[in-house]
Amino acid sequence: MTGGVVRGREMQEDLVLKVDAVVVGTGAGGSMALRELARAGLDVVALEEGAYLAPRDFDQREDRMLPLLLQDAGGRATEDMAIRVLQGRAVGGSTVHNTNLCKRTPDAILELWARKHGVAGAGSRDLLPAFEAVERDLSVSEIDAAMRNANNDVLKRGCEALGWRGGALRHNRVGCQQSGFCELGCAYDAKENALKVLVPQAVAAGARVYADVHVTAILHAAGRATGVSAVAVDAAGRPRARVQVWAPVVVLAASAVGSAALARRSGLPDPHGRLGRGLRLHPGAAVAGRFDGAIDGWRGIPQSYECTEHLSHEEGSERRVWIVPAFAHPVGAAATLPGFGAAHMAAMRSYPNLAVLTAMVHDETSGEVDVDEAGPVLRYVMTEADRRQLARGLAAGARILLAAGAREVTIPAIPPVRVTRSSELDALDLSVLRPHSVPLTAVHPMGTMRMGEDPAVSVVRSTGEHHQVRGLFVADGSLFPTSIGVPPQVSIYAFALHLAPHMVERAGER
Amino acid sequence: MGTAAAAVVLAGSALAVLRTRGYRVGPEVRLVGMSPWQFVVVEHAARRIAAPDREGDASIPTADGLDVAGFVDAWVVRLPSRAQRDLGRFLAYLEHVAPLGAGFASRFTRLGPGAQDRVLEGLERSPHDLLRAGFDGLKALVFAGYYRDARTWGLLGYDGPLVGRPPQGWR
Repeated sequence: MTGGVVRGREMQEDLVLKVDAVVVGTGAGGSMALRELARAGLDVVALEEGAYLAPRDFDQREDRMLPLLLQDAGGRATEDMAIRVLQGRAVGGSTVHNTNLCKRTPDAILELWARKHGVAGAGSRDLLPAFEAVERDLSVSEIDAAMRNANNDVLKRGCEALGWRGGALRHNRVGCQQSGFCELGCAYDAKENALKVLVPQAVAAGARVYADVHVTAILHAAGRATGVSAVAVDAAGRPRARVQVWAPVVVLAASAVGSAALARRSGLPDPHGRLGRGLRLHPGAAVAGRFDGAIDGWRGIPQSYECTEHLSHEEGSERRVWIVPAFAHPVGAAATLPGFGAAHMAAMRSYPNLAVLTAMVHDETSGEVDVDEAGPVLRYVMTEADRRQLARGLAAGARILLAAGAREVTIPAIPPVRVTRSSELDALDLSVLRPHSVPLTAVHPMGTMRMGEDPAVSVVRSTGEHHQVRGLFVADGSLFPTSIGVPPQVSIYAFALHLAPHMVERAGER
Repeated sequence: MGTAAAAVVLAGSALAVLRTRGYRVGPEVRLVGMSPWQFVVVEHAARRIAAPDREGDASIPTADGLDVAGFVDAWVVRLPSRAQRDLGRFLAYLEHVAPLGAGFASRFTRLGPGAQDRVLEGLERSPHDLLRAGFDGLKALVFAGYYRDARTWGLLGYDGPLVGRPPQGWR
């Protein structure tokens, strides 16, 4: 088999393939599954709805990169428009635009899944080889202190002043130029991600990847997966050719939104009404501090230090917020700063003097992915408990900024909350901050096709295979029974690697 | 969305259908994502949302000078159909209904700058979640059109992308 990447936008004719396995999506999970299936000697293809891009395509311009790299041109949101949901769409998926943070699934989370969610064979010891292999494949290392930018220094300084727990983050970069444009794709090819590492390895092993191909249905009959139907589109999203792939193994890796939406659209059996339910998002909000000196937060590695003082992964914890830097380029910053008009422009002139942190909630809220004629519908309304966590995180972020020397701290609520002393936070009831009064963003959808041994409460088995459809596997964040409270890329890579032998075994049964 | 908010948004949409004439765009404008009336409403809103902080300072780029409305028009076609529909409804509300809430018996596009600011402030601070979300969405689009442009970066002290940066820096 000769591997390669085909751009659907250049396809001239309809395509029908008969292969051993087809993978839907080429992000962390899809690329890993693809590589493992190809290395097992199977004839495997991946279909990716986004474009196949190279470092020369990443021109560091927000207006050009965001629509190219993100679902719905960056406009995806929950149904009530309270939370903006940023998800990738390109060969490499969200690993193309993410900030390269590498954290393993916490032991407490894996233990919880085994104890309360019926997940078998996925404990810390079971997954250790997969984590180690992933970290080796992606050259994961701790970010050197010399590469920490001023925005991250603020977080470190604030944590130390308060005596709060914090530390350096780990990442998957080699040859980083510290340009600060990670979220717009890396022009320097320094991200050791799915696009750079795993897709080429899969192709070298014989896999074929079709970019610009949107999967419209999972085909199944008599309790078995039989393939997928898809359409190749041009650069403007117009249909160009039909694509039909027949395969006894179908691997869904189109994200917790895309996979669940596709599964619902395809009429998969769902006797217990679990499909699409259990959506977690890790919603977060920003807090900004204005300093006397220049921060120039857009320069350098965006996130290299974390505050874990308010984060515990133990079940029932009342400390469920993770605080990291979150500086945006001008378009993103302008959308987040409160107000408009002259006052807003005056505030934007402080841009070089701002340090920005985000408080991300390790959420308990259970949302849902549904689908209508226009596409996925995300229903997610934060619980009061999660709102309290958000408020706790924003207050903590404000204290960190003040402790680090900020002149003024702004929580971009409506109306904005501005404080200059920590004591003002003591009197502030931040529980008034609610969705729609604070700009909320989420980048980690999870949990919509959760795994477990009990089909009454899960969609797929602990092997990743669908309870009712033989040969249909899931290999993305949909699998997770709960929020994991850390960036999910390493967990998704690792679970795909951990589950791949089951996919190989099923594909080899013919 | 509350029932009342839903009702007014729907009312705005219905009004817009009935009152979409009399909006003129320049002969050089070739719309791809919005109708002429929507484009005119965005032009007016963009002038206020991206209003300069120093009156009369000619060094500050204007929303018109950067063709922010044209940018929004081109961006809209990339949005999913649901978002396009919601934006259209919000613009209808902004033009025909929101001024009433701020005490003006006139279309948004016929108001002066100060009155337009009051209408926009009313939406930004509306008790109705959906109206605030609509304002935030429009604001994000306008600022995307404004601050994407290298001519605005000098205002911020932002030196812009390294890729393709001219020797003299972005201007």
